[in-house]
Amino acid sequence: MPKISEMTGTVFDGKQFGYVPPKTLTISPKLALHRQWDAEVDPVTFEVIRHALWNINEEHGATIQRISGSPIAMYALDLNPSILTEDAEFVFFGPYMQYMSGVTDTQVKWILEYRSDNPGIREGDMFLANDPWVGAAHQMDVMLICPVFHEGELFCWVTNCLHQYDIGGITPGSFCPSARDAFDEGILIPPIKIIENDEIRRDIEELYLRSSRKPDLVALDFRAQLAGNTTARTRVLELIRRYGATTVKGVMKKIIDNGERVFLQKLARLPDGVWRDRTYVECCRPGDRRVHRVMLTCRKAGGRLIFENEGTAPQDGAMNATYSGWRGSIMVAINELLCWDQYLSVGGALRHITFDPSPGTFNCANFPASVSTAPVQSMEISLYPAYNAISKMIYPDPEMRKDIMCIGGTSQWPATIFRGIDQWGERYGYLLIDPIGGAIGAFAQDDGISTGGQARTPICKLPNIEHTEQNFPLLFLYRKEVPDSGGAGKFRGGLSAESCFIPHNTDKITQDTLSSGNAVPTSTGMMGGYPATPNVYRFLKHSNVLERHGACRMVEDLGELTGEPVELQLRQENFVQEPTDVYAVTWSAAGGFGDPMDRDPAHVQEDVEDGNVTRDAARGLYGVVLDTENRVDRAATDALRAETRAARVKRHRAGGGAAPRKLAGAPMLQVSEYVALRLDGNTPHLTCSRCATDLGRSDDNYKSGCIREDNPIAAGNPHARNPERFIDAEPVFRQFFCPGCGGLVENEVATSDEPLLVDIELHDVGVARPKRQAAE
Amino acid sequence: MSEAILTPDSRPPTPGGGYLVGVDIGGTFTDCVVIDQAGVVTTAKSPSTPDDFARGMLDAMTAAAAALGTDLDGLCRQTELLSHGTTIGTNAIVQQRGAPVGLITTKGHSDVIHIMRGSRGITGRDIQQVVHFPESAKPDPIVPKRLIEGVSERVDCFGAVVVPLNEDEAEQAIRRLVAKGVKAIAICFLWSFRYPAHERRVKEMVQRIAPELFVSCSADLVPKWGEYERVTAVALNGYIGPLTSGYLRNLDGQLSARGYKQPLQITQCGGGTISVEKAISAPLLTLDSGPVAGVTGSQYLGDLMGCRNIITTDMGGTSFDVGLIFDGKPAYSFVSNTHQYEYFLPKVDIQAIGSGGGSLVRVDAATRTMRVGPESAGAVPGPACYGRGGTTATVTDADVVLGYLDPDNFAGGKIKLDKAAAVRAVQAVADQLGLSLVEAASGIAKIAEFQMADIIRKMTIQKGFDPRDFVLFAFGGAGPAHAGVFAGELGVSRVVVPQKKTASTWCAFGAASAHILHIHEQVDIQASPFLRERVNGNLAALEATAREQMAKDGIAAGRLVFELSIDMRHKGQINEVEVVLPASRLPADFHDDLAGRFFARYEQLYGKSSSFRGSRLEMVTFRIRASARTPQPKLVPTTGLTDTIPAAARRGSRAIWWDGLKRTQDDHRHHRGRASRQDLARGRVRQFRDRFEGVARCPRSAR
Repeated sequence: MPKISEMTGTVFDGKQFGYVPPKTLTISPKLALHRQWDAEVDPVTFEVIRHALWNINEEHGATIQRISGSPIAMYALDLNPSILTEDAEFVFFGPYMQYMSGVTDTQVKWILEYRSDNPGIREGDMFLANDPWVGAAHQMDVMLICPVFHEGELFCWVTNCLHQYDIGGITPGSFCPSARDAFDEGILIPPIKIIENDEIRRDIEELYLRSSRKPDLVALDFRAQLAGNTTARTRVLELIRRYGATTVKGVMKKIIDNGERVFLQKLARLPDGVWRDRTYVECCRPGDRRVHRVMLTCRKAGGRLIFENEGTAPQDGAMNATYSGWRGSIMVAINELLCWDQYLSVGGALRHITFDPSPGTFNCANFPASVSTAPVQSMEISLYPAYNAISKMIYPDPEMRKDIMCIGGTSQWPATIFRGIDQWGERYGYLLIDPIGGAIGAFAQDDGISTGGQARTPICKLPNIEHTEQNFPLLFLYRKEVPDSGGAGKFRGGLSAESCFIPHNTDKITQDTLSSGNAVPTSTGMMGGYPATPNVYRFLKHSNVLERHGACRMVEDLGELTGEPVELQLRQENFVQEPTDVYAVTWSAAGGFGDPMDRDPAHVQEDVEDGNVTRDAARGLYGVVLDTENRVDRAATDALRAETRAARVKRHRAGGGAAPRKLAGAPMLQVSEYVALRLDGNTPHLTCSRCATDLGRSDDNYKSGCIREDNPIAAGNPHARNPERFIDAEPVFRQFFCPGCGGLVENEVATSDEPLLVDIELHDVGVARPKRQAAE
Repeated sequence: MSEAILTPDSRPPTPGGGYLVGVDIGGTFTDCVVIDQAGVVTTAKSPSTPDDFARGMLDAMTAAAAALGTDLDGLCRQTELLSHGTTIGTNAIVQQRGAPVGLITTKGHSDVIHIMRGSRGITGRDIQQVVHFPESAKPDPIVPKRLIEGVSERVDCFGAVVVPLNEDEAEQAIRRLVAKGVKAIAICFLWSFRYPAHERRVKEMVQRIAPELFVSCSADLVPKWGEYERVTAVALNGYIGPLTSGYLRNLDGQLSARGYKQPLQITQCGGGTISVEKAISAPLLTLDSGPVAGVTGSQYLGDLMGCRNIITTDMGGTSFDVGLIFDGKPAYSFVSNTHQYEYFLPKVDIQAIGSGGGSLVRVDAATRTMRVGPESAGAVPGPACYGRGGTTATVTDADVVLGYLDPDNFAGGKIKLDKAAAVRAVQAVADQLGLSLVEAASGIAKIAEFQMADIIRKMTIQKGFDPRDFVLFAFGGAGPAHAGVFAGELGVSRVVVPQKKTASTWCAFGAASAHILHIHEQVDIQASPFLRERVNGNLAALEATAREQMAKDGIAAGRLVFELSIDMRHKGQINEVEVVLPASRLPADFHDDLAGRFFARYEQLYGKSSSFRGSRLEMVTFRIRASARTPQPKLVPTTGLTDTIPAAARRGSRAIWWDGLKRTQDDHRHHRGRASRQDLARGRVRQFRDRFEGVARCPRSAR
């Protein structure tokens, strides 16, 4: 499928294809833009106004939370406010749901292009919008977009986005797992003027609310969004009155320019090249047993970054996202890994980033694909691999290496959608929010953070069990961190957790599942780090749980109960849970960093003592020998690790593998944790960074120079069992070892028929451009 | 316009005792304030003694006794009420020196305290750290997983027992924890606030099996809805319990031996004092009580001056703390955050930002920008002018350069500041930005002042209060020098700087003026239409608990004052507001009045038309504030403050930078007509601070 850059003549106007803002916007001359600003602002005034603008955006978000008060706004923090310049460059966006603001600038640019003539953009207007082909993540993410005028000129924009309870479609809540296309889903609203002359247009509001099953709540949230924009607009105008428009605009431009400068300085410290990641989405509609490949390519050429999704599977079923959803997802990783020191001001960086996906792929889907589940599937899987790809790109710089973060938990959301009559006799429907507890991926210098939240919502907080049990007829048997769930590594990925409940004070609960990443782990590790647990559903019908309770002997794991295990599929609809039926869901944890056999055995011992790692994994994955008291046997550990490495080399040589060749000389560049660039004569080669064994020319895939061993996927994580329950393809855990020292260099999670992934390609390190493409 | 000022200390103390004594232990100094029957204030300072804080406390009291012409025993004998603010618990958490604490919880739910609701305790942290995950780890656990024991027992949301307590499992759990050497045991079961019997039974078992251990139950400490914040509270209570209770017992014993007859009162974070016995069993209540005492002191002084609405600001070496008093009552928060641990605790709300004197100045020469804070130089190395090895400029250094702080008279003359070091540090900032020394210094001050204005804005405007309706109290080492500017930013027209001697011992003064206060809470979630009997039953139970506690403390029933309130919300939403009840029970036709109070309070906090009148309401937490008045300092207001500076008040002048005038001049020659608004505000404050040692005000014309 061709990339956007190759589709000359195609119109990307947000109708058939997702809107792609052109370099120069076509804006009606009826709209005057405020384009004067001070080129120089003294450092004190700059800092005072910068701080004020940040605070305005923060107050904007707080206002929405206060007035909405909904669990979506308060717990899931499924909202985000932004400030943009007159021409829709980001000044700031908030710390809430990160990908939401990533889709904001496209919406504002679309409004500038398509609404500046008719109906016009004027003082006192606001636009309501949720069309994913223009810019929303999915239909429930409704934006309210407010132009701010100064003396008749468009000065800047304040905007917000807030997830709505229900916006129509075939499924209550508007997540529609069995939608055939967008016509089965919530109402689509390309930006429409809902506020005119500072008044709500009743006709438009009624049209908007008419589609919802919960019009009162949507109406209240709309007022929260309105108050947020009004507060932010008022405060921007106050700043203008006090400091002058050209000064405030000068600060906005300088914030972006400074961000741009820092971003370019960072890029200048990195080699040119290409970094790739590959993952899979499972089950795009009920009954589907295929895997759908997701490719992410991050290309760095001088001061430019280009992101592509070439090789990603075509749009299908109810799992897709649009161009802006894909772009917004990747921007989350850009922000957190490359721009975190700029207070989420990504506008400057965006000047040097090109997004060049292939339309028609499932994370850049064309109209009218189903996109209502985008955030939990397609967008998560667009975002998380970006952490790996960007982390590999920044690894060569020792300073930026500290910012590396592996893929975190809930990299696909295992949804628990349930409904029925609650203990108060009232009808309810809910999506269990627990997986937002996520896990944070391992860092290059430290362990990840167990149940540290989802990286895309840095300030999220899940409800207490007592909150959930008060509101729904459930009794949680446990919510616990899962041993061995975090990817093994020199630095371990954060653990995820499992929630397990039975119905309580109700006859039955009716449930749907909606998941992916149950067969093939989606939180892969990096540079030798292992994958985390996949998502796991467990369901035990007719169990003995009530007898156990009667006997005063509670359980801490579903496995302690007897009953009839039922395999839940990934889009199973309308299954019934009765009071003795036990349901449990584990969400995917976070990937590990580096070779687990390089992990300090003392940390493995602590992990075993605290139940984060089992004794089996300590020995099998980490090569750590513990005595019966769980104390490390140092000598035995060293011996086991050395034997394991030697055995790999021995097997390789026995199978006819060539003798290793070592290269002399100091490394020119540390490419990854275990790969260094060295010269062989005048030709740059990739070598093992431990023992300098040659892994081949730098324009070849270093994996081809390694010992390769393929194993069943469970070798990567003990929780990744029996993938054949969900998919036809066979996922494998590929490992690449140094033929010299036997040390682990890298792992790969792939289906067995896939070629090797070329995850790192260096350019301009003294040789011709690489001859290989994405896969060999 | 006349203002009240405190009577200066020129009169001799009256003999005969009846002293009110307040003692506050700070990081560096222990302060003691003695107020006699005639309202004369005597203060004393002594270095704090971290190895045994009681020694420093007695040292400070000895020094105060000497100033009164008596000795420690004499002071103890003549003291009517001794109130003490302790930081033992806070320090134990900061320095991670708490006791090894074991946790007993509902089986299956051992990880609650580790999962931390999937959050990383990010409240109050700088967002740059929060989004940069390598800097955003969870805090070290209060209780490691190996010291957590799950026990079979289960209660549901109705308070019904689903699984009875398995006492065999509980006993084994206790014995395992004892064998692992814990010094305290915390007990928290799911829904224990609905059914506390299981927790209390396990507590009895601990007391039988290991009577030497410090043990507490979550339902006794904070019977609130939400297991994470409840378990954190009880675990922290156990963590600081052995240390705090040991210290308080020791101190109580020493004071009794010296002849102090009354029950020792300990300041608590809810804004009053509790008996030493209560503090020993619930040391959690003493956390952060120091800054709260400052608010209590402001409340007292405000009453005296007729100020009902006060913004209190305390700018210390490392942070800037803001509290709010509205209609004579302090604003509360019910969830606290200490070192990323979040826990239930009814507490006078203090919001802090890292914009104290210690806030570091960061310069990026490439973009020609600078930031102030949130990183702080802390006490060590501290600002460059402390001469403890710090070289990076801080707000305090800028203050020294600008002449806002007197290097020879800082912290009551106890610390000499190195002006040359301050100049060097600020000059480095100036050089990188291409500014002059004073431009850089005044820029640093200005950025810090705007940050302070922003946090006050969050406490007031964002909560529905108009700062123009408030008087601003500025205390703490560096605050008064900046108060004029941030007050001006907010449109506050009056700034009060407590008199000098009291200002530097403000928290001790606050302790001395605190009333006895116990706050009891009980959660009973119920949706409208409300049943009057059920509500009144809850209120009656709370009142009974309060009476029992006060009786235990020996407080006569006739002295008690109760205030009852209910936290309410829209059903299905999260935001709760506290609705104070006009009487101690609901009358027969309560509904419209109660709903009206809820909607009024809700809209005040969350904005007009934010409430949703069609929806059902829900009650969540019932609360009683039971107080007993203590003897109050009898300070005498004086009238007749003039605009001219009395000759007697004159002291040597020093050079001060005036930003509006863009020049340095001696402060006493400052001419009001030629200064900017901000200078006026700042100038007035500074003049009064140095010269009157009393109240400052910004004339309305200066707004």
